[in-house]
Amino acid sequence: MTSVAPQKSKSGFDFSNYSRNHFLDGKGLGGFTATSTGTTIVGLIYKDGIVLGADTRATEGPIVADKNCEKIHYISDNIRCCGAGTAADTEFVTALISSNMQLHALHTGRKPRVVTAMTMLKQRLFQYQGHIGAALVLGGYDATGPQLFTVAPHGSTDKLPYVTMGSGSLAAMAVFESGWHKDMEQKEAVDLVVAAISSGIFNDLGSGSNVDVCIIKKDSTEMLRNYVMPNERAKKEQKYGFAKGTTRFTKEHIYSMIQKEDVFEVGSTAPTPAPLPAAAAGAGGEETMDTS
Amino acid sequence: MLGLQPGSSTVVPTSAPVGHRFEPYDSNGGSIAAVCGKDFCIIASDTRQSTGYSIQTRYKPKVFRLNDKATLATNGFAADAEAMVSRIRQRLEWYRHSHGRSMPLHAIARMISTILYGKRFFPYYVYNILGGLDEEGKGAVYSFDPVGSYEREFCRAAGAAQSLIQPFLDNQIMFKNQHSTPEHTVPKPGEMSLPDVLKIVMDSFTSATERHIEVGDGLEMFVVRTPPSAQGEAIGAASVDLKAMGGVEAVGGEDEQEEGAVMVIRRELKKD
Amino acid sequence: MEALDMNRLKKGEVDLGTSIMAVAYDKGVIIGADSRTTMGSYIANRVTDKLTHLSDRIYCCRSGSAADTQALADIVTYYLSLYSVNMDQQPDVKTAANLFQDLVYQNKDRLSAGIIVAGWDKKNGGKVFNIPLGGGIFEQPWAIGGSGSTYIYGYCDATWKEGWGKEQTLEFVKNALSLAMRRDGSSGGTIRMADITEDGIERHFIPGDQLPELAGKIV
Repeated sequence: MTSVAPQKSKSGFDFSNYSRNHFLDGKGLGGFTATSTGTTIVGLIYKDGIVLGADTRATEGPIVADKNCEKIHYISDNIRCCGAGTAADTEFVTALISSNMQLHALHTGRKPRVVTAMTMLKQRLFQYQGHIGAALVLGGYDATGPQLFTVAPHGSTDKLPYVTMGSGSLAAMAVFESGWHKDMEQKEAVDLVVAAISSGIFNDLGSGSNVDVCIIKKDSTEMLRNYVMPNERAKKEQKYGFAKGTTRFTKEHIYSMIQKEDVFEVGSTAPTPAPLPAAAAGAGGEETMDTS
Repeated sequence: MLGLQPGSSTVVPTSAPVGHRFEPYDSNGGSIAAVCGKDFCIIASDTRQSTGYSIQTRYKPKVFRLNDKATLATNGFAADAEAMVSRIRQRLEWYRHSHGRSMPLHAIARMISTILYGKRFFPYYVYNILGGLDEEGKGAVYSFDPVGSYEREFCRAAGAAQSLIQPFLDNQIMFKNQHSTPEHTVPKPGEMSLPDVLKIVMDSFTSATERHIEVGDGLEMFVVRTPPSAQGEAIGAASVDLKAMGGVEAVGGEDEQEEGAVMVIRRELKKD
Repeated sequence: MEALDMNRLKKGEVDLGTSIMAVAYDKGVIIGADSRTTMGSYIANRVTDKLTHLSDRIYCCRSGSAADTQALADIVTYYLSLYSVNMDQQPDVKTAANLFQDLVYQNKDRLSAGIIVAGWDKKNGGKVFNIPLGGGIFEQPWAIGGSGSTYIYGYCDATWKEGWGKEQTLEFVKNALSLAMRRDGSSGGTIRMADITEDGIERHFIPGDQLPELAGKIV
């Protein structure tokens, strides 16, 4: 056989993009950049449980991709996970572990534990040797009490009473190191988390916009989306409307999206429709075209 | 060992030399823009200076008054910008000593070009925009690349958010992609009033702040115009009460200053 | 012959630039470590517990990549618990050390892990095994490891003597580690120690502001 036509992969996988990317790479093109959540995420243990916090900025290089994204992900009713790093990786790895945690809970018939989620996450991240770029703050309340962990992209974990992650972690940790103490009251704890995230928002360019907070206690989880909004857009000086016809066009298609239907009572006879004029004949779903 | 052995074609280098070289350049973020009208020019910048993900200062001016008819905006590597501005100011002072008057705008533009090209193989990593009034009193904008190529334009944006601001100015100042209809006539570029241009400049920077992480903190808009006092009755840009908009006298550069010739309007920008 | 560059950490990896040690004595073994975990110049954890439980009477001290050593310790812990169930007896320290050695040796091109295994078993008493980077295994009366250990080889060689009791050994470990932590930038924080004997595990904690001040204070 002399034909070099592309063969369909028997396995069902499609590797055609691999050679394309390899070709592009060789030309100095390619190099796909993922949306990263240059982020500030934090967590702390207080008297009655856990407070998690996150900013809401997602970036693509120096450009803000999303001004109000959610970085506190659901794992189970009593466990949440803040994600920093590659947005897609944090999204998918938490979703996967959330799913496996539910199956595990169903299988064991017990309320899920934070260590279980932590172990699942670290084993998966270690398996991928850092290629899954997810840096996580995992917190929750289970049979063993309040639990807080960080998981780094290569799969190492730390268990501490107060933690920060992401590009704003240094700014946030500075706040925690000076303000955290044992057995804080809830208001005090939430205020400290807000201060830590704010420190990231204002001092780290990778973090910005709003503060999300999540409070996890023995039998309640409270997700406080946009708990503080210190960065609302300034009012614009004027409106930027355009007069109709400002944009030139070469072609115009008008599709009639209206479906006409006649409904008759059962047993009644359909009235005979009046003959339509020739021009309107195409109105029942066909397109009209005008080239100007 | 690194490298190929004689007579061997299969030896491949297994380790590359690693070492730290001195990096003479940095990129300090921020953005600048300038727009000229019939009898005025607006030169604006944000005031944030950053490196990587950290803010060095929230207030570092990037626009400098050179004289009553010329203002320079700089962007790129802040240390080079500083060095450039002081060199330009020294040359302007020398010019005044030998000619007894300020250097005209077109001459400043050519001088900046030669200063930049003078460092062709170790460039000042600075994007410059020179704004002011030409010898006929008309608004003028000159924009430069880091090695001295320059041209006169109506409007120009440069810096981190150039790609965000320039298309907006092209559309709103140059009226690109806008076409007249029987009901509505698109105006000609360069005839907009001072207050209208100010609004567009402010919206450019508040919008760039929303979508670019290196833009923010503060906004400085320098207005260069024929001062109100120089005319019999104030007309055009001179009749605009900039003080009512928070404008103050811009200082720096050559000593001789006419009141109201170069003023600066400051605004806050978001700080995240 | 090209030397394999095994010391390299992957980009952005969490490092246990460390001072760790273990010393056997008549009743058992004393293990100790500093508590610093770094990511570049940032201290990611200043109260890390690098003394990792493997079985009832066996611990290990971890140095190198945090991710690699945690994963290894988890695997060995699993094997040892399986062993104790299957054999209906506690594993020897030697067994734990051999498990580590095998994993480190077989995966030497992928791991950066320097581990000291120490513990007590009925047959052999207190034992110390050093498993350095390439996957070797060395039984020693005392072992030091991690980046900080280079500063204290002389001190340990000159100081250690056979036949010490618990208190003397604890003092030795404490002094050696504080010397290493003073000189090594990527070691520091607090000292954690554990005394492993037939009777159980006794934990010791020395806060960062109570480290021993040795002769000729380093400025």
